[in-house]
Amino acid sequence: MNDNTFYNIPSEICTKINEWLLKFPDGKKKPAIIFALHQIQKENKFIKKTHINSIAKFLGINEIDVYEVAAFYSMFELDKVGKHTISVCTNVSCMLNGSDEILSYLEEKLDLKVGTSSDKFFLKDERECLAACCGAPMMQVNHKYYENLTKEKIDEIIRDIDNE
Amino acid sequence: MNDNIRINELCYSTLSSDNPNSFETYVSLGGYSTWKNIVSKSYDKKEIIETILKSGLRGRGGAGFPTGRKWSFINQDSEDIKYLVCNADESEPGTCKDRDILRYNPHALIEGMLIASYAIGADTAYCYLRGEFMDDVYTSFKSALKDAYDNKYIGKNILNTNIDIELHDLIGAGAYIVGEETAMLESIEGKKGYPRFKPPFPALKGLFGSPTIINNVETLASIPKIMKNGPQWFNSVGTKDSPGFKCFSVSGHVNKPGNYEIPLGTPFKKLLELAGGMKNGKKIKAVIPGGSSVPVVPGEIMLETNMDYESITKAGSLLGSGAVIVMDEDTNMVEVIHRIARFYYSESCGQCTPCREGTGWMYKIIDKILKGKGTLEDLKTLESIPNMISGSTICALGDAAAMPVESFIKNYKKEFLKYIKNKEKVLGKNNNKEFLLQQK
Ligand SMILES: Cc1cc2nc3c(=O)[nH]c(=O)nc-3n(C[C@H](O)[C@H](O)[C@H](O)COP(=O)(O)O)c2cc1C
Ligand code: FES
Repeated sequence: MNDNTFYNIPSEICTKINEWLLKFPDGKKKPAIIFALHQIQKENKFIKKTHINSIAKFLGINEIDVYEVAAFYSMFELDKVGKHTISVCTNVSCMLNGSDEILSYLEEKLDLKVGTSSDKFFLKDERECLAACCGAPMMQVNHKYYENLTKEKIDEIIRDIDNE
Repeated sequence: MNDNIRINELCYSTLSSDNPNSFETYVSLGGYSTWKNIVSKSYDKKEIIETILKSGLRGRGGAGFPTGRKWSFINQDSEDIKYLVCNADESEPGTCKDRDILRYNPHALIEGMLIASYAIGADTAYCYLRGEFMDDVYTSFKSALKDAYDNKYIGKNILNTNIDIELHDLIGAGAYIVGEETAMLESIEGKKGYPRFKPPFPALKGLFGSPTIINNVETLASIPKIMKNGPQWFNSVGTKDSPGFKCFSVSGHVNKPGNYEIPLGTPFKKLLELAGGMKNGKKIKAVIPGGSSVPVVPGEIMLETNMDYESITKAGSLLGSGAVIVMDEDTNMVEVIHRIARFYYSESCGQCTPCREGTGWMYKIIDKILKGKGTLEDLKTLESIPNMISGSTICALGDAAAMPVESFIKNYKKEFLKYIKNKEKVLGKNNNKEFLLQQK
């Protein structure tokens, strides 16, 4: 029964998952797990146990297979997080260009400890290099790139979000 | 000053145009003409592989394996389904060259993937982008892909030649290890990214159990021009063992950090000059020449070294992905290796004990030293760990974690000893990390 709303997966997402499956050989279902999790997270900001169950049922695979993927990849949030995710790269090229200060500045500005969330923001110390090292220091806000950061730039970015 | 250096002629050749990533720009610069020729004249597959072999192109993902040789491992006569996978997971710290190819010259990558698929007999190709590219990079790549489909360069019955090749975009979800080629295959199959035992090599048994070739973005984006201009155009620059052009991401303490595509064999001095020289007129202290997984090289040695595979090996390191991280005289080397060790500790997939435990030990000991709590005994233990990891793991992440630690201690032991012997002097009375940060 691969159509319409499925438990707590909205029908548009079901359709998208079915389209995604066309990229793979007939009968392969697992290759859609990562994609399905991304879609859910985009909608809900984090992934609940019930989503994992529904994805497994929808694809006709074991829950553990979905859970394992959700737990392995660092982009998936399994606990409630704020509306906007800010990931500051603190890997080596960014560190050489002051990423630790950027992170402290954001902690202060948002009154938020690294790794924690308010309703509005989730502040992440990104240990993986985000492939923008020549624009260090940098961060992503909801996976959009912001490079060559300064305190003024950060003020502006946060102001824009606040004014949304 | 830099007028005699050839720059951005291959993968970054669209950068001088107004709309570098558009289909029209690429076509106006002669793009897709090679692919058109190949399909309309039904080129011999073996001849294409021969051309790439002759060019001497080496894989740009890090290992530098000759691309033509890799392709020749595919058994052309077998009826098996075959796959091509493009590794666009770009996540080696310091590396940001592929992102600019994906953003500014996506059609060279697409054409390269088509030629490679044709040459190895694959009718399906996947381009796997790292999850964090989801917004900016992935969106623009997908739109380029659509243009190529709309113009009938991909899909069913390509340019009415009865040739079918599908090219699909895929997206990851955050895991450095998935850049390792067999972990990537696992990830595409919808599993966690655990590298596979080799053999069997992917060319024999890869994606969904079928013969598969995996290549890096830069490798594949280099193919169309090599085919178009001939292998000699490519290997007339560079050195005998390192022919052609290569993209270098220069980051760290330089005035103009950026991606520079230059002939291999160019002196590092020249590259540093292109990158605007050292920031604030400082002296150079050290360089990591190929991404954080390779040994660090003292600045004075780098200044005498050329940017090619063999020269950098002679200097005690590796060319790797071409990520050149430059550090000035004020850099605290214990802090830098602390950051690098933290990365490998958090990214080890945990499958192999030596890597899982070894990366943790290395990080914890360096952390202890940095906090002023380390002993000479700790340093000795730290020195012994890389040896226990290297060569005893399924994939190369273990070596990637071990090599930097080994090289930082070897070249900058004094700095470690300072932390251990003169704690008070280095750290002050409040010997903790926060205090140290304030000192900078
Ligand atoms: C831990 C680890 C991470 C890697 N990450 C990448 C990567 O992000 N991008 C890449 O192209 N190759 C990466 N590689 C190298 C790939 O395994 C593989 O050699 C490469 O994609 C082959 O393409 P090439 O022959 O064109 O270089 C990584 C290897 C290891 C061991
Ligand atoms: S080190 Fe921060 S983006 Fe690469």
